[in-house]
Amino acid sequence: MGIGPRGWRHPSVMDPEGAARRRRGRWMLLGGVVATVGLLTALFAFGLDRDPTAIGSVLVGRPAPEFTLQTLDGSHTMSMASMRGQVVVVNFWSSWCAECRVEQPALSEAWSRFRDQGVVFVGIAFEDQIGPATRFASAYGLRWPLLADPGSRTAVAFGLSGVPETYVIGPDGTIAMAFKRAVTYADLSRAITRALPGSAA
Amino acid sequence: MDRLGTFALALSLALSAYGLVAAVVGARRDRPVLVQSARTTAYALFVLVLAANLVMIAAILANDFAIRYVAENSSRETPTFFKVLSLWSADEGSLLLWNLVLSGYLAAVAFRFRRRPPETLPWALAVMYGVQAFYLILVMGPTRPFATLAVAPPDGRGPLPLLQNHPLMAAHPPFLYLGFIGFTVPFAFAIASLIVGSSSDRWIRITRRFTLAAWIFLTVGLVLGALWSYGVLGWGGYWAWDPVENVALLPWLMATAFLHSVMLQERRGMLKVWNLAMIIGAFALTTFGTFLTRGSILSSVHTFAQSTVGPLYLGFLALVLLGGFGLLAVRSWRLSSEGRFDGVLSRETAFLANNLALLALTFTVLLGTIFPLAVQALTNRQVTVGGPYFVQTTAPVFLLLLFLMGVGPLLPWRRASGEQVRRRVAIPATAGAVTLAVLAILGVRDVSAVLAFGLAAFVIVANAGEIVRGVRAVGRGSRRSAIASVPEAVARNGRLYGGLVAHVGLAIAAIAITASSVFALQTEVTLPAGGSTSFAGYTLRYVGAVAERQPQRSVVIARVDVTHDGVSAGTLRPSLNFYPAASDPIGTPSIKVGALKDLYASVVVVDAGGRTATFRFFLNPGVLWLWVGGAIVALGGLLAMWPSRRRSLPAAPAPEARELVEVG
Amino acid sequence: MSEAANATTAGAVRRPLAASIAALALAVALAAAAVSLAVVAARGPAPEPAMQARVRAIAATLRCPVCQDLSVADSPSPLARQMRGVIAADLAAGMSPQVIRDRFVAQYGEWILLVPPRRGIDLVAWILPIVLLAAGIAVAVGAVRRWTRAAGPSAAARASGADDPLTAADRRLLDRALASSSEEPE
Repeated sequence: MGIGPRGWRHPSVMDPEGAARRRRGRWMLLGGVVATVGLLTALFAFGLDRDPTAIGSVLVGRPAPEFTLQTLDGSHTMSMASMRGQVVVVNFWSSWCAECRVEQPALSEAWSRFRDQGVVFVGIAFEDQIGPATRFASAYGLRWPLLADPGSRTAVAFGLSGVPETYVIGPDGTIAMAFKRAVTYADLSRAITRALPGSAA
Repeated sequence: MDRLGTFALALSLALSAYGLVAAVVGARRDRPVLVQSARTTAYALFVLVLAANLVMIAAILANDFAIRYVAENSSRETPTFFKVLSLWSADEGSLLLWNLVLSGYLAAVAFRFRRRPPETLPWALAVMYGVQAFYLILVMGPTRPFATLAVAPPDGRGPLPLLQNHPLMAAHPPFLYLGFIGFTVPFAFAIASLIVGSSSDRWIRITRRFTLAAWIFLTVGLVLGALWSYGVLGWGGYWAWDPVENVALLPWLMATAFLHSVMLQERRGMLKVWNLAMIIGAFALTTFGTFLTRGSILSSVHTFAQSTVGPLYLGFLALVLLGGFGLLAVRSWRLSSEGRFDGVLSRETAFLANNLALLALTFTVLLGTIFPLAVQALTNRQVTVGGPYFVQTTAPVFLLLLFLMGVGPLLPWRRASGEQVRRRVAIPATAGAVTLAVLAILGVRDVSAVLAFGLAAFVIVANAGEIVRGVRAVGRGSRRSAIASVPEAVARNGRLYGGLVAHVGLAIAAIAITASSVFALQTEVTLPAGGSTSFAGYTLRYVGAVAERQPQRSVVIARVDVTHDGVSAGTLRPSLNFYPAASDPIGTPSIKVGALKDLYASVVVVDAGGRTATFRFFLNPGVLWLWVGGAIVALGGLLAMWPSRRRSLPAAPAPEARELVEVG
Repeated sequence: MSEAANATTAGAVRRPLAASIAALALAVALAAAAVSLAVVAARGPAPEPAMQARVRAIAATLRCPVCQDLSVADSPSPLARQMRGVIAADLAAGMSPQVIRDRFVAQYGEWILLVPPRRGIDLVAWILPIVLLAAGIAVAVGAVRRWTRAAGPSAAARASGADDPLTAADRRLLDRALASSSEEPE
């Protein structure tokens, strides 16, 4: 691609009536160079516009993966099936993750707003140990159920590519929205509102 | 401090603008005085850019956190050694270093052509000043290394953990920069030669050493990068076909092709347009590489800073491509080839095949690197093009190149008789065949690996044989022993011996790469303290972990005792480093390096108190020879740079020696 | 001067025996090489590799979602480690490698595969290098033909007599050869 399209042109075309042809050839070559460079530039300009680390979730619109997990303190288990009929917000987080700290206020605010409207929040600890995870939860005042995910099977089932990630699951059990980054209160509450049965938006 | 730095940069930009204008006007109006002033301006420019760099280093060493760059990339606790490295651990600072290297090359060109300047010099200076101006604009506007903070924080954040984890960071980026930027010199003279309308190959000859130097730097930079990946990242490998690695490899491939194809022009007057296209391509690829890494177009090592220079870089890249290839398209008809082929069985054919293979590699790697981008642009679908793609597509071409490396030096220039070729090929071919047979008998199961080893043996024997033959001939001519005539031989034709040595180095590296990628073993185990596992004939016992507090980080070191056949074989100490700025710990592997195989351990997790730890153990055969091979390639490059004394040929060289001169 | 001239003169002087030994050695070497390669190819890959090797074979084709540049097999990241665990569990449960890969694609999307599929637009990534290499070879062969034909008469003349005088073109090439690689004086 770095090479002009006709870079190998053997230039010993010194025949007498070649002047006009040569001129034509030259313009064609130049045109080829301009077209190729134009195409490449357009492609890279497109690349500049895009966030290379942004990866969409293919799960939106598909049924949420099933899981049955124990809470961090081991007191009881929760499963996806048991929450059917409600809007479920699944938040993957970790005590060692900096972005997770950033999004906690947004999550808490959304939780206080929606908890009486049939919205269930669930936090799934990713690659964490019970001690630090519990300390993190109390430091940030997380009041929704926090689950342990040994072997990260649930995380992999959700196609997790890092923490934090948040999934909003509709009452029918399909994934309505996936945030593959720290959520903001505005984005999250909009997604929850849309997923609630009342709003047919 | 910050004002001083900004002032030096502003003045540098003014100087490059002056140099550009003076060189162009001087060339067009034929004013030697102006050209002369443009030339000497390069020294002042170099001093100023150096001053800007020194100011930054001084600010870092003095913990001047009022400067944002210092606050973000250094801290009080950072050891002095890594403080200096902070100069190039983020975008703004590394652009300062980039400018320094570029102005260094500019000053070197100014010095090299201080007497009897070639007619292309003014235009070449103009091109280099233009490139320099672009990079200076980058540090004056879009990124501002000396930008200050309203309130200086009490302490800085420190460099990115990954970049302060290993002393190799001191060498890898500067070498890569020296290599990348070095191609500006031949590019500038190529463009100048096109502008002047000269059809001579003088631009190639006068920039030969610059091109070689850049190539050597890039070679070393790539090898050091692989070494860093191997010794720091802890995944047991050294090359991941990461976009950033790929774009560093691309100019190397093209420049290697160029080093060969210029010989066809110098000796036979062929491929004039081709060579110009190659060097423009190589320079464009270096620009593309920096655009790609700094413009954060493709996902790569996450830790690289996002930056705002993308659009400007893209404009510059488009300008380089359009200007370079456009000029070539317009001027190419002037460059008629004087040469001709005397025989298909000749060194010329080998060089053509070499160029074709290297270009195919360049294209494939480039395609694979930007393919995800193209697919997303066209179909808005995300795909990945990763290691297995590059291995599958490039491995056959690399094997072909290996074959050519062996055959090429055995073929004489112009034409060869079948008998002559048979005689020269017989011994190396036998060496290759014996290697193949031994591996087949040993029960190796991988065809491509066996083929690679056989070809590598062929290359080593062929090239080493040519070295011995040449040195002996020189010895016979001067009636000295073979060893004593090595310096004489190198002095007479360093380029020949440099090439042969580089081929040997590459073949050794090929053996190492094949061995380590095909025959590596690995395992992943979780061990309780005191527990042990057996792996590849070793017994590995996890003794326990100790925590260690260092000023800038805390380190957990796991101790693993190694025994082999019941005999103690040392201790491995892989560690996890916890940096305050990083959420994830960064591992440091521990490697028992051996001539035949490395035992490589990295620790993934150590639980509280070190009661259990999860390790990955690798047995990597032959990796040591990759570094040895790389060093030999660089040595070959140096030999090729050796000042030649060819013009003082003895009056009547012995027949053997004369034949060798032809072969070179 | 030219290698070809050298060869014809020197070759005639040398014993023909050496030449035939070289030819024989080369033929034997090539035959041995071919046989060895055939033996290795016939042997094929090791049957039924160990569990860790099977996990690795699958993981090596998947891109680690966290680090993005390494495969799941190579990545030291915790998630990749867990994914290797998931693969091992699935293999132990009797799932085929293809089923496991398909499930990862369903969860993550196609980008999880390190190699673009050989169909649709992605086929371009596989075909284009081959097409361009073939085109390059065609162009190069054409060029070599043309250049060799241009050289025809003088080459024939040289072959007819061992010590025929240099043509002007030869002289130019010789000067070039002698000048080459010596740097311009400063």
